[in-house]
Amino acid sequence: MIRNHLSTIIITIVTATMGVIAAIAFGKMHHPEELFPSDGLTGKVMLSDYFEGIKGTNGDTEVYLYDSGIEGGTALLCGGTHSNEAASFLSTVVILENLKVTSGRVIIIPRLNNSSFTCSDPMEGFPAFYEIPTKNGTRRFRLGSRVTNPLDQWPDPLVFAQYPSNQQLSGFETRNLNRAYPGRPDGSLTEKVAYAIIQLIDKEKVNIAFDLHESSPEVPIVNVIVYHENYEDIAMGAILGLEMANLQFSPETSPKNFHGLSHREWGDYTDAIPFLMETSNPSMGRLRGETNVDLVLRGYSDNYKKAKETGALRIAYREDTGEPIEHRVGRHIMGIVELLNSYNLYYPDKQIVIENLPDYDLIMGKGVGEFLNN
Amino acid sequence: MLYYIYTLILAYVTFVVIIEFLKEKKWRNQLAMAMVLLIFILRILQIK
Repeated sequence: MIRNHLSTIIITIVTATMGVIAAIAFGKMHHPEELFPSDGLTGKVMLSDYFEGIKGTNGDTEVYLYDSGIEGGTALLCGGTHSNEAASFLSTVVILENLKVTSGRVIIIPRLNNSSFTCSDPMEGFPAFYEIPTKNGTRRFRLGSRVTNPLDQWPDPLVFAQYPSNQQLSGFETRNLNRAYPGRPDGSLTEKVAYAIIQLIDKEKVNIAFDLHESSPEVPIVNVIVYHENYEDIAMGAILGLEMANLQFSPETSPKNFHGLSHREWGDYTDAIPFLMETSNPSMGRLRGETNVDLVLRGYSDNYKKAKETGALRIAYREDTGEPIEHRVGRHIMGIVELLNSYNLYYPDKQIVIENLPDYDLIMGKGVGEFLNN
Repeated sequence: MLYYIYTLILAYVTFVVIIEFLKEKKWRNQLAMAMVLLIFILRILQIK
């Protein structure tokens, strides 16, 4: 009898301890890391200021404003649509912490799908956090999920009927922000966030908008600039500029019948010129093997090296160097700079001029951490 | 609505497992129940 009580007490204490440890670990996922904007920051609002329907939810997120005070156009830079794509979020953080705008305005949203930062993709084994060494120590960043946290939006339907196209996709995609545009005010949380972003683009009269992504090396849409068909000239101009900097990007037209994506719906439902960029991230691919922080940051995978060498698949993977975070962030930043340069040629009356961003060679030479404040 | 039904079912199952846990005489079985309870309780508390 005594032995039975003893085992009950011991197991209860051990279980409670494990529960508290797990609760603390889960809790940390809900606390966004502090960002340190550059002196160019002129304002900070919340996405819910553009649509009240997401106020007080995990879908609400910070919107950083950089206004040069000189009349010009407005650019929107979005990271963290899919928060498991580290270079997407990190590129916007590097820009946010260094940016100086000398003409027009820039709006930055680093955590576009804020809810997705609070969970991880099940069965994928992704690390919860990664650390970047900086001048003053290390900064820790969250590696989240591709989709909205199921605690915020549940259950998924068996088949997701995209609004308003009625295009049918896997039920899981109902929580994918980049299938939810243009969204709706009375829809799911993901649709409400998408609707809020469309409202922001309209109210702020955004001229050009960027959505940063990463994808698996074996996916065809990788190392690309995806553009809306109305703005092909701007994309091509930027791709030539990037070639001059020895960076190869493939141009991809946004498919007209693939709905819900930023490069399609931002172009169809707003006056903004949308671009989506993808870098190659081996930690996201099916062949990746052990998934750890080293793979996320160093981007080196023997499996992808072997796969590339077989020649059986088109694989966007550099055998010698892998796809390190510096390379991926550098590509995103250079892509934005060149697209803005190209945009400025076509819209001289709505110039957006930005300065003080590190270029690709500088990031590759010094590392991402060198360009993070604090 | 589905959320509340889910939570009610979860709370009921958790209650039943706790009762069984307290009645159980074999520590190995108690350990197995504790592993289940840990996840259920975290889920009821919306910690995920």
